Amino acid sequence: MSSESKDASTEEAPTNAEHKRSPADFLKAVLGRPVNVRLNTGTDYKGVLACLDGYMNIAMEQTEEYVDGQLKSKYGDCFIRGNNVLYISSQKR
Amino acid sequence: MEEPLDLIKLSLSERVYIKCRNSRELRGTLHAYDQHLNMVLSQVEETITTIEEDEETGEEIVSKKTRNVGMLFVRGDIVVLVSPPLRTS
Amino acid sequence: MSNRILPLELIDKAIGSPIWILMRGQTEITGILRGFDDYVNLVLDDAVEYSLDPRDKNQVLKKELKAEILLNGNHVAVLVPGSKGPEDSLASKS
Repeated sequence: MSSESKDASTEEAPTNAEHKRSPADFLKAVLGRPVNVRLNTGTDYKGVLACLDGYMNIAMEQTEEYVDGQLKSKYGDCFIRGNNVLYISSQKR
Repeated sequence: MEEPLDLIKLSLSERVYIKCRNSRELRGTLHAYDQHLNMVLSQVEETITTIEEDEETGEEIVSKKTRNVGMLFVRGDIVVLVSPPLRTS
Repeated sequence: MSNRILPLELIDKAIGSPIWILMRGQTEITGILRGFDDYVNLVLDDAVEYSLDPRDKNQVLKKELKAEILLNGNHVAVLVPGSKGPEDSLASKS
């Protein structure tokens, strides 16, 4: 078995292994793709995920800012400080 | 660009837009930053938006106050978002 | 004692099942747990977010995200493995 994409921690519990998806796997899958970033304040940022780091600091492109579901502004590039991030969701569509 | 802070590095000596907590916005020239996102800005325009409710009518009154500061230091923990404004549409 | 179970082992057993997460503050989230790391960052499928309506604090807004999400572990307060959330009668009993 090759060691790629397998964390040491995912080796036990073979029953769930095929469904397991660690945060690192998720991030690998959504890099460069459209995402929705939700802040603790409730503000949403939709855009293309350029990169991120261990603090969940995020760099996004073609970003749209939604407050209460309403488009408020657009940013070509933007940096979001990780402590404000509630979740990152993939945009399926 | 390998990490998010590279975006800030690319914005050095450029005009940037910073969204802070408590409806505070700053626009200024970025001179320095660190890993906490502490920043030094010059020629800064600060905008604070407040929403008050009219006691009689219950209407929401949005007021924006702006002021200009020559040079300031921003503590990183109040920063929500940073964007180079020239590239915004 | 080897039969003592570590907190995160309990969460590991919930992978593939519903989980209910209470955040610091008022937000709550449910979904199918896909994975997590040492910081308790969580990957959830079919996540549903319950938050207070900013206009009327007595109203709870339910938002189905219909996507996979990565939840920031920083703001996680409580995890309820096996629960589908506030509407789950078993979980909310007493």
